[in-house]
Amino acid sequence: MFYDLNIKGKNFNEDLHLAKEASLLGWNSVAFNYNDDNLDNAFEYFDTLQEESLNFNNPLNVDFRYEITTNNSNHLRKLSRKYRDKINLISVLGGHLKVNRTSCETIHIDILSRPYFKRKDCGINHVLAKEAANNDVAIELCFKDILTTYLSYRSKILANFKEIISLHRKFDFPLILTSGSTFIYDIKNPVDLSYFFKEIGLKEEEIEEGFKNSPKNLINFNKNRENLILKGVKKIDRFD
Amino acid sequence: MKLKILPPTLRKNHRYLAIDIKSQNEISKDDLVMAVWDACIRFFGECESSNFNLWIVRFYEINDNNDYNHYKAILKCQRGFEDKIRSSLITLTKFKGSYISINTLGLSGTISGAVSKYID
Repeated sequence: MFYDLNIKGKNFNEDLHLAKEASLLGWNSVAFNYNDDNLDNAFEYFDTLQEESLNFNNPLNVDFRYEITTNNSNHLRKLSRKYRDKINLISVLGGHLKVNRTSCETIHIDILSRPYFKRKDCGINHVLAKEAANNDVAIELCFKDILTTYLSYRSKILANFKEIISLHRKFDFPLILTSGSTFIYDIKNPVDLSYFFKEIGLKEEEIEEGFKNSPKNLINFNKNRENLILKGVKKIDRFD
Repeated sequence: MKLKILPPTLRKNHRYLAIDIKSQNEISKDDLVMAVWDACIRFFGECESSNFNLWIVRFYEINDNNDYNHYKAILKCQRGFEDKIRSSLITLTKFKGSYISINTLGLSGTISGAVSKYID
């Protein structure tokens, strides 16, 4: 099962087209990523999109992801609390140091996306890595950043990826690998993507974690989130 | 004068990658050769790419109702470097100012195997 938790959502027709292409290329589950601009619109058609994508030749599970883009920590906390019960996956676009830190410290947030965004360093250090591991906040490496850059810029992003990978090995926070596709030319074969990350320096087990286990755990954890009273305490059905 | 063909034990072993190409503009086989080499040299550099022995063996134009130009091809490469080639091909986004995307359909040991399994 290959999971891609970052495909940019726009409108029903384009999302369906992207979902079809992803299904053809071998993805089993994708999450469409919406922000404040198109979130309300997405609520209207998302159920239809989910039903339609299950009818493909290679059935595709479609999930909903909300990406918070703000530089204000308080606003970030407020938004994460507001949407926690409504949306399965909540992510934060990183880059700003305060935002990176707040995201790693907030248990309501699932994914810190691209902490290296528009930065000269990788955006996380040992302190943030520990916090991310404690709060189960996944750090996302997005392949789109490689596609949209070239020469020295691409090398710098690869260096940032490698730095995050070394922190992941030391502190064991969840690492997820995504394509970040915005249109049809960005969607890639998951096996090819695995080979790409292997060339960067990830081991096969780590790639499997990044494409399969970590995203699966995130989705399953959030499906049961309403039954969680505290971290480690879960309400279960008496007859389970 | 033509060189004598090497004995089989001294020849390089090859693998055949079936690739799927989506392009915004129409491309020819020569364009694809340039695009593939460009991707490999950009990602791995000249020294490492010299091991790949890339060669486009077959090039097919697919006529389906899509909003992009669709092609398929068989790419010959040296055995042992398939992973590197696959990883460098997906890093290609633009060629001559238009969008292009190359995905691998599969890997085969013979041309006929690759054609029958992934192209037909």
